[in-house]
Amino acid sequence: MPEIVLKNITKKWGGFTAVENLDLKIEDGAFITLLGPSGCGKTTTLRMIAGLETPSSGEITIDGKVVFSSDKGINISAAKRDVGFLFQNYALWPHMTVYQNIAFGLETLKWKKPDIEKRVSEMLDTMQIQQFAQRYPSELSGGQQQRVAIARTLAPKPKVLFMDEPLSNLDAKLRGEMRTELKRLHIDTGSTFVYVTHDQLEAMTMATKICLMKEGVLQQYDAPLDVYALPANRFVADFVGNPTMNFIDGKVKVTGKRTAQLEFLGSSFVFHAKEDINLQDGDVTIGIRPESLPIAEKGKAPNQITGSAYSTLPAGMETTVKIKVGNTILSSVMFGSLDYKVDSEVHFSILGDRVLLFNMEGKRVASGSVEKKGE
Amino acid sequence: MKNSQTLTKSQRALNNFAAYFSKPANVIVVASLIILLLCIVYPMYAVLNASLTVGQMDSLMYNSLFGLKLAKGDFTSLNFHMLMFGKYSSDYSMSFFWKPLWNSIRMSTYSSLIALILGGMIAWLITRTDIKYKKYISSVFVFPYIMPSWTLALVWKNVFANSRVGTGVTGMLESLTGICVPSWFVYGIFPCAVVMGIHYAPFAYILIGGILRNMDANLEEAATILKADRWRITRKVTLPIVMPALISTVLLVFSSTMASYAVPVFVGSPGDFYVMSTMLRSLYSSSYSGQSYVMTLVLVLIGIMMLSLNQSVIGKRKSFTTVTGKSGQVSFIRLKGNKALSIVIVVLLFFIAIFPIFSFALESLCGVQGDYSTLTLKYWISREDLGGFHVPVGKGILFNAEIWGALWGSLKLSIVVSLVVGTLGFLIGYGVSKNRGSKLATLLSNVAFFPYLIPSMAFGSIFLAVSTKLLFLRGTFFLLVLVASIKYLPFASRSGTSAMMQLSGEIEEAAIIVGAPWIVRMTRILFPIQKSSFISGYLLPFVSCIRELSLFVLLTSSGTLITTLLSYFDERNVVQMSNGINLLIIIVVLVVNFTTNKLTGASIDKGIGGN
Repeated sequence: MPEIVLKNITKKWGGFTAVENLDLKIEDGAFITLLGPSGCGKTTTLRMIAGLETPSSGEITIDGKVVFSSDKGINISAAKRDVGFLFQNYALWPHMTVYQNIAFGLETLKWKKPDIEKRVSEMLDTMQIQQFAQRYPSELSGGQQQRVAIARTLAPKPKVLFMDEPLSNLDAKLRGEMRTELKRLHIDTGSTFVYVTHDQLEAMTMATKICLMKEGVLQQYDAPLDVYALPANRFVADFVGNPTMNFIDGKVKVTGKRTAQLEFLGSSFVFHAKEDINLQDGDVTIGIRPESLPIAEKGKAPNQITGSAYSTLPAGMETTVKIKVGNTILSSVMFGSLDYKVDSEVHFSILGDRVLLFNMEGKRVASGSVEKKGE
Repeated sequence: MKNSQTLTKSQRALNNFAAYFSKPANVIVVASLIILLLCIVYPMYAVLNASLTVGQMDSLMYNSLFGLKLAKGDFTSLNFHMLMFGKYSSDYSMSFFWKPLWNSIRMSTYSSLIALILGGMIAWLITRTDIKYKKYISSVFVFPYIMPSWTLALVWKNVFANSRVGTGVTGMLESLTGICVPSWFVYGIFPCAVVMGIHYAPFAYILIGGILRNMDANLEEAATILKADRWRITRKVTLPIVMPALISTVLLVFSSTMASYAVPVFVGSPGDFYVMSTMLRSLYSSSYSGQSYVMTLVLVLIGIMMLSLNQSVIGKRKSFTTVTGKSGQVSFIRLKGNKALSIVIVVLLFFIAIFPIFSFALESLCGVQGDYSTLTLKYWISREDLGGFHVPVGKGILFNAEIWGALWGSLKLSIVVSLVVGTLGFLIGYGVSKNRGSKLATLLSNVAFFPYLIPSMAFGSIFLAVSTKLLFLRGTFFLLVLVASIKYLPFASRSGTSAMMQLSGEIEEAAIIVGAPWIVRMTRILFPIQKSSFISGYLLPFVSCIRELSLFVLLTSSGTLITTLLSYFDERNVVQMSNGINLLIIIVVLVVNFTTNKLTGASIDKGIGGN
């Protein structure tokens, strides 16, 4: 079964390190996204697994077979790795019709002509592009080209499918539709998908596991909701989620194995951690997701803090309220359409057990709930 | 540690080596680099060596002047002293070296300015104004560049030669109106500069027009929004952006005219106007070979200087040639008197582009030169040997075995050269684009461009020096192929590279992923996509080669190629034959160009960077 294992993969271009000591295990049938800001090495990683780029050192195994090893001097060409690759710009061959584009790979695999015809028309059906078979890529819209590219990639039935930001050239609506279809295709084909994106929403909604990278270094490799709820560090917490997490500077004093006293936003809180706290007394950053700061009328909810409405951004289904407390501006997300007059007084609570503590190096050291003192 | 699995250093190096050469692109880069270096470094050595060697007449001259006992082939630095530094007399240096050099510089300066003004003006008119007949103007304007450079020189002679000048041949102007223009108008620097200026104007048009056309319209629109008027926009936005192209045009035309041989020999030498290239030839053919190689070195040096100047202009931060973007429709400037101007241009274009063909036909039909009442077909169809000239001429053109032999020789050479150069250009383009940024690839593309720095005349001379060392090459067809292939490689490799660079790497990778072998990827994916560019890469060397004179004139005898034969007839004033042959060459060039254009969409102007 096609399980992909990366051991200690490093890629250097001259003095620049694109990917550094990356260890990654991609389970069979998984849908992995490589996520990160541009230039973080995610595309390089993908291309190295596919065999389009040669790592500087390390070892890559696909389906138990070593396809690259700097130590053993193995480097199997992309053609022999039995993988599919969906390119960002589709890379459709402009001088071939849709049919010829899809059939090309099967011809090089020396399939018989009737088999090719059958498979191509099957793919055209799956992607719902039968009517375009005889057209040239330039005669198709972006979305249609994308479908052709997917059909071409899937036609030889690759066990692993690599995708390099395949939806980034589509408009927002089409992108949404294609996400649904790709997720569906993943189930239908049963292949392993590795997907590169810088769009955290895409990663969150589609992947079974997210591999988040920054400057060539792996930050966190977890299921999307775990990455969201328990980010390994400030970078991850900040990168995932929209609106982004609130980071509040505060002071901490550890009072027990799993309790501490927190000072922030001008109030004192007791922090109840879910695991043992490993932290020095002193400065700390408190991370709270916007949905954990609901607004309510004064006195109608626990842990209330008072601030002023800085700006209200209703989006229909939910509303983001920017609240100013002292010099800090916080985001709060509420269901439904709300409107607060600018600079009017608002009262919000800190609820839930997902209050995170980050140390000064940005590493998450604890998660838990807070309780405002004097209530 | 897992010792059994780790490799020794040498094994690892071997692995890296094997991995590097498992990629066809790398093999191409390394192999072509080695071959090209051999074909350039050795000849440069040979010519340097030859410039320090005494030639047949050199030795006689030095021995009698300075009482030496030098023999042909002896080592000496006298060639330099004699030719450049007035060892014998400053008059000698002046008239054989400094004056031709000065003439070359003046001629090149004038013609590059003429080319720039003409080409730039047409480019601006076509891309930025509402001038009429755009299609006609833009397609006819490139004609002079497609035709051999001496075409206009011959036409010039056909029209302006008169009984009071030079050989006393009667030209069209005199026989129709009786007007005799003065000598400086017919022969000398004036006609040389004008003729070459017009010949290279399309080159300027293509370079400048290409940039004007591809320039992001938003750049100019942004200035419009800021309330700049049209003239201010042209001055402050457009001009600075095309400036590198303008400078580049001047430098490239300058070095091309510096190298040109045919035009100065046709309308310069009869008026005792000698430039570097014509002087080089005359020194060589009088067996002052040592001094001719000194001349060669100087030409090479000037070429290198010009092109490195060009490189530094283009390569700098101030280069905007790669400005791209959505080229929206630029609003056209409305010209006053638009119609009149359009008609003037159309008429002028007729004279420089279409009239030559009539002129050649007409002159080849004149029984008595310049007398249009004596029209006859005998110079075309005579089966008897034609008389009445100082030299034997042979039968009429259509039945003249020598002419057909030379034409066939030229065709054969051009076909072979175009196949070699086009394929090499394609492969080098592939190798360079796959290794973009790597040192070897940069070196390769520079080395492949190097022959462009060397004027054709000097290039021919350099390989002449080679053939005196490697005797088996001397006078062979292979030598001609070698010289022409290397000389024409620059454009082919440039156009091949730019065509390849336009293809994103993904296009080939998509085929690698499905396991298509290299040769399939080349023939079924890459070549077909950029078909017209690559075919232009074959077409351009073909057309250049069939009309080339200066490159071959030192290397082969006059009967081998159609151009050398033409030059032979022209120098001996066999006007009807030279005109007829010229017509033949033009027809071949035009037919090949238009057939290829119709069949594949490729054309010459595409090959030199137009759209």
